[in-house]
Amino acid sequence: MSDDHNQEPVLGERGEHPLSVLLFSCMRGKMFARAFAVLLGVVGLASIGLEIWLSYKPVTDITSMPGFYALFGFLAFGGAVLSGWPLGKLLRRREDYYETRSGEAGRDR
Amino acid sequence: MTVERLADWLANTNPGFFILVAALFVPFARNVMVRAILMVGGPIVALVALINADGLSLNLSSVEVLGLELVLYRPDSLSFVFGLAFIIASALFGVYSLHRRDAVQDSTAMLYAGAAVTAVFVGDLVSLFIAWELTAIASVFQILAPRTQESTRAAMRYLVFQISSGMLLLAGICMFASATGQTQFALIAPSMAGLPVGVMDIEAPGAILILAGLGIKAAFPMVHNWLQDAYPKTTETGAVVLSAFTTKLAVYALARYFAGLEWLIWIGAIMTVFPVFFAVIENDLRKVLAYSLNNQVGFMVCAVGIGTQLAVNGAAAHAFAHIMYKALLFMSMGAVLYRTGTTKATELGGLHRTMPWTTLFCLVGAASISALPLFSGFVAKSMVMSASHADPALFIVWIMLLFASAGVLEHSGIKIPYFAFFGHDSGKRPQEAPFNMLMAMGIAAALCILIGVSPGWLYRFLPYEQVAREYLASDLWTAPHVLQQMQLLVFATLAFMLLQWRQLYPAEKPGVILDVEWLWRRGWPDMVASLARPVRAVSRWTAGQLDTAGSAVNGLARQVFAADGWVSLKVPPSVSAVASLAILGLVLAIALFS
Repeated sequence: MSDDHNQEPVLGERGEHPLSVLLFSCMRGKMFARAFAVLLGVVGLASIGLEIWLSYKPVTDITSMPGFYALFGFLAFGGAVLSGWPLGKLLRRREDYYETRSGEAGRDR
Repeated sequence: MTVERLADWLANTNPGFFILVAALFVPFARNVMVRAILMVGGPIVALVALINADGLSLNLSSVEVLGLELVLYRPDSLSFVFGLAFIIASALFGVYSLHRRDAVQDSTAMLYAGAAVTAVFVGDLVSLFIAWELTAIASVFQILAPRTQESTRAAMRYLVFQISSGMLLLAGICMFASATGQTQFALIAPSMAGLPVGVMDIEAPGAILILAGLGIKAAFPMVHNWLQDAYPKTTETGAVVLSAFTTKLAVYALARYFAGLEWLIWIGAIMTVFPVFFAVIENDLRKVLAYSLNNQVGFMVCAVGIGTQLAVNGAAAHAFAHIMYKALLFMSMGAVLYRTGTTKATELGGLHRTMPWTTLFCLVGAASISALPLFSGFVAKSMVMSASHADPALFIVWIMLLFASAGVLEHSGIKIPYFAFFGHDSGKRPQEAPFNMLMAMGIAAALCILIGVSPGWLYRFLPYEQVAREYLASDLWTAPHVLQQMQLLVFATLAFMLLQWRQLYPAEKPGVILDVEWLWRRGWPDMVASLARPVRAVSRWTAGQLDTAGSAVNGLARQVFAADGWVSLKVPPSVSAVASLAILGLVLAIALFS
């Protein structure tokens, strides 16, 4: 998501599929990510507003509070992704970790 | 044979048999058209047979073997929805694999599909076991298909799990049948609202073994790794067919025999959560999908455990929808593998430029699995969520499922399409996927949208149709329900964008991620090696000591008995002769008096 923004948007580069130009070329603009985020924010806030407006049930617990799903989605997603930092350090090994000369760990030692 | 007799035969034959028969002819089909007719025609005939079944909840075909009545065809509303999904999946696979010329893989894939369809429509445990073992054996050939050392080893590990599961299943069935004298599920216990589900008591003899066997097939936690180990190592078509059958057949069997078993609620909830963390850090996108498969099956297992009519409907609907969108996602990754030779996130990116159709279909699959309203996942998964939310005692389970829903968006909704087709430009400009692949993906995508936009046609096939209709009328499209789901997805996507912008999203890195398979791939060999080390040292020391002692004895004997040794030099021959006679006399005495 980062490197592409430094380059000039290239529309219809050689060999590119016409459907790709039609559907996805707008995504290569510098402002696309920002505009998309704003759009999502507006949709998200509108959905919370609509929930409050349409809500006919009294708030009985935390899950029935307007915006609970928004907050939960944001935190759950963020938590899951951020857990990747320590987990990656803990669990990631080199690609040939399970491979040895005889093909399976343990047999060569 | 008259038309009436043919129609009668079609209506009373297990639909899986038609696919099995087609599979037997596939290796001999040299002509592409003939092969296409067999690969797609077999499932179509099966579909026609299923639609024209001679009634539901009846034993339509049975045979007696060794005093046992094997019910070969007993469709009902639970098996119908699973069977329908399996038949559609096998037809999609038939179309998807037309570009290839691997008779063994195609034939065994059809055998696998046919056996799975057969398994859901049989009416007794013994027939289920036979069909299930056929799926296990046929599916191994999918993993062997790339013919590499890596895939061969993965296939052997896969086989160990499948055979273990089969043995547990067989032992459980034998114990259960000998104790109760019953193998037909319709006769084991009274039906729940007219449908035999959850027919087996967990305290019945052998039930635990049957549950354990099904648990391995469903990839329960701690025995789940055969799935992530094997599926990403098969060919571009192998993963598609593998993703559809084994685990969903296990869900069907769990619903049939153990619906309402409380253990399953927690097992399912754990299954939904833990794969999320592995999928976040996994680099191989097909392995990410394998973890995602685990997570989605967790929703179904949890629903089966809840066991209400809405929950069983949810499990069945989710299985149906999942078969379609997971096949679609595996097909899109298969197309990427076919064109680029890899599905590693670190080696991909920017493929939308030359593979826009594949990108588009992948996005439909991603939207479906993320349960975006108007896509299939929304109408299926929401029943499971509603069933868990309805019981206040299951609040923690519901929270776990909600967390898993956000996790699904992360690994399958965003990570798969983003890293393969968008993200950083890898510079790869492969050709678009072959036409047959695009066609299969297009049909699957259309089904995902059709189910999402018009869920009524799926709901009418669900086990408890009336409950499904009521849910459709009063719950599914209510404003709070749709808005809450939108909030979950929109704000989770915003979290993704924020993390990317702040460079907090962990970068994809090559490598393997340790999982429970470490126990048998490294832990066990390492333990054996470390235990063997002191034993080897002791045996080496003992051998050395014995060697030293032997040398000493040898030297001494040489000094005593050699030609110029002590005996020859210092003992006169007469004494030697007398001593020899004395020894001989002693031996004779012992022989005579003992």
